[in-house]
Amino acid sequence: MGRTVTTVTRQLQETRRMLSGFRRGLRRSDQYVLDGLFAGAQNHIAAIGECESLLPFEAALLAILLEQAKEISTLNHEIKILRGRLE
Amino acid sequence: MNKHTGWLMDLYPGAQGGLSLWLLCDGGERLQMQMNFPVCFYAAGESRLLRQAWMHLQGRELSLARTCRRDLFSGERDLLAITVPHPGELCNIFRTLSEQFPDLDYYNADIPLPLRFAAQTGIGLLGRCRVSRNEEGQVTALERLDSPWELEPEPLPLRVLYLSPDCDPVVCPPQQLQVRFERQQFCLNLKDPQTLKVSLEALLRRCDPDLILSDYGDTWLFGQLREWAPGLNPNRDPLKEIQTRNAASYFAYGQVIHRGAQVHLFGRWHIDRCNALLFGEYDLQGVLEQTRVTGLGVQETARKSPGAGITAMQMLTALRTKVLVPVVKQQAEGRKTLNELIRMDRGGLIFQPLPGLHKHVAQIDFASMYPSIMVQYNISPETNLSGAPPGDREEEGLVPHTLRPLLEKRLALKNQLQQLDPRDCRAGPLKARAAALKWLLVVCFGYLGYKNARFGRIESHQAVTRISRELMLQAKETAEDLGFTILHMYIDGLFVQKDGLGKPHDFTPLLEAVHSQTGIPITLEGVYKWLVFPSSRLDSRLPVPNRYFGAFLNGDLKYRGIALRRHDTSLFAAETQLGVLKILAQADDPREKAGEARRFAAWQLDRLRRGKIPLDRLRLSLKLSRELDAYRSPGPAARAGRQLEARGQPVRPGMRVHFWYVYGGVKVSDVDLKEIDLGRYRRLVERAVDEVLGEWGLAQEPVLPGFGAVPG
Repeated sequence: MGRTVTTVTRQLQETRRMLSGFRRGLRRSDQYVLDGLFAGAQNHIAAIGECESLLPFEAALLAILLEQAKEISTLNHEIKILRGRLE
Repeated sequence: MNKHTGWLMDLYPGAQGGLSLWLLCDGGERLQMQMNFPVCFYAAGESRLLRQAWMHLQGRELSLARTCRRDLFSGERDLLAITVPHPGELCNIFRTLSEQFPDLDYYNADIPLPLRFAAQTGIGLLGRCRVSRNEEGQVTALERLDSPWELEPEPLPLRVLYLSPDCDPVVCPPQQLQVRFERQQFCLNLKDPQTLKVSLEALLRRCDPDLILSDYGDTWLFGQLREWAPGLNPNRDPLKEIQTRNAASYFAYGQVIHRGAQVHLFGRWHIDRCNALLFGEYDLQGVLEQTRVTGLGVQETARKSPGAGITAMQMLTALRTKVLVPVVKQQAEGRKTLNELIRMDRGGLIFQPLPGLHKHVAQIDFASMYPSIMVQYNISPETNLSGAPPGDREEEGLVPHTLRPLLEKRLALKNQLQQLDPRDCRAGPLKARAAALKWLLVVCFGYLGYKNARFGRIESHQAVTRISRELMLQAKETAEDLGFTILHMYIDGLFVQKDGLGKPHDFTPLLEAVHSQTGIPITLEGVYKWLVFPSSRLDSRLPVPNRYFGAFLNGDLKYRGIALRRHDTSLFAAETQLGVLKILAQADDPREKAGEARRFAAWQLDRLRRGKIPLDRLRLSLKLSRELDAYRSPGPAARAGRQLEARGQPVRPGMRVHFWYVYGGVKVSDVDLKEIDLGRYRRLVERAVDEVLGEWGLAQEPVLPGFGAVPG
């Protein structure tokens, strides 16, 4: 109602559509990982919106990195636990 | 001189000029009175045109004058005031004048009569008053005895006559008319029109109802009565004819809405429950409450959207504060740079949920957040557009001035409701009244940004969302400072969780901290013993905002965005999904009950296979979003619409069509159980069950969103 600017969600969808050729050129297994990257960005729509940026994809890339860092941190933690059990 | 005390029931232009009033007296009489009530509208514009308009109107039975009043957007304006002695004539005079002088700006020309009356006398419809009248039945004095903002208004002793056909006229021709009045209940045969006419006339004379509450009265019954029983006048005022209004389809609230033709009565009311927009939400008590606070007539309120109610309230404020009400708003959005647009033009804050099952979650909601912001920050088209807190000396704007009492009344009713036992007989009506006020508050924000709203302005609308986002972030930070995890935030509500906290009083410090930080009251909606945020059906790694289901500590369920909440779900699929949820709600961990829930779903499917589900449970209902010809590849709704059209039924966009899935397509009537496409219904039910028992929901612990393993 009353909105003229495209929402961040829509802008990310547009970016995704723009990259559909790139996605198509990937192996099926890589496509799944690529979708996961976008899912990671999707989790932080509110934060991306708060940037009030003309190019939200920059912030979306940061959100993707954030999710990767979380994943690495979780895996490190699990490795530490497993190592502890082995030692 | 006679004096009468009672409720003002109805008012409209009298058949012989002036105003006709109906009073429901304390003694039980329904009295009709007449009153002189001249009404005024204004024209503004170039002096040359105003002079010509004056000349054009001179010589008629009108009073003309020059005056000056405030337009909310453009300040003080010089006006030609045109006073019409009989309110019924205003419409024609305005139409001919505006056709003759289209370049003039017109004000106060289309204000509903009850609003003018309320502004002038202080007495709104359903308000209690004392009326003095002379021997001719002319009102000589009026005195207001209550206010629309009273929390416990005296209940109206209404006489209600219920009329409904024995089946949906769209599906098959009704054979009988079911009648209910007080404790009597009987049927009238529709086969013999003469007997029907005599019976209905006798019924109206004997019962003299204040309200005819019908099913399909607008779209079928009164149209048929005109054919079957010409000469039957269901009005209480014998000099008036039934007033009919044409059906209309329009786009509002992001969807196409169809409003069927309407039948309005004089001296008594007619409400068609099937053609009243939100009757299912708040019932007659809600309609009466909205009538009290908005000032619109009961028949109007029942059929119009709450947006019309908010507009009426704003008009009333404008009339009382001598602000002009434009017929057509002329203000467009101001110029902005792209950066300004990006900064300002954003909606509410949505913080994506963490998909999966969560235990001991509290849902906290800001109470009427947007209206509270509008009142607290004094946001109105003519006041605060920056969103900064208002200064002490700033005059309260028209919009907050209108909303303040409404907001206070809604919060007071909600408090009363919380203190009542749900089994208390007062709880139902109170809940309906609170819901009616809630709807007015819900739409008031949207109307602020609606381009055609008389007192709307997009910058005010944007200021509200800007403040709301800031307040939500403040709430999030406060909760995180206190050690809570934010699971989800949606516009004005937060789902929070903290290890070791699971009782309602555990969350009181959080509520107090958020309230003191933001200044807006926040309430605990409830504590869930478990809550599931499903992920997307397309990709299980994607969260879906505002889709969840869960069980509160007392076992009550709450669900949003699942099949049960959607209108396109058959009753059978909805009942099955609800049954599954009820079984899950019995346990502190829903996974313990998943097996039992699956057995229940299998039993339901077995009943479907054995043909034990009644047809009305399998009926689907879908809305037509466009004209039938505009469908390129017609889906089930369009195909059902075409069948109705072939039978001579009018089909319009926004209409809801009812149908069954049968082998080879859909059918809108004359369906036999043997024709039902059981496979299709089975898939619909399985999908509804999967929505709550799917592997993303209950078979796994909450997962961190992000990367998943490559499948298979």
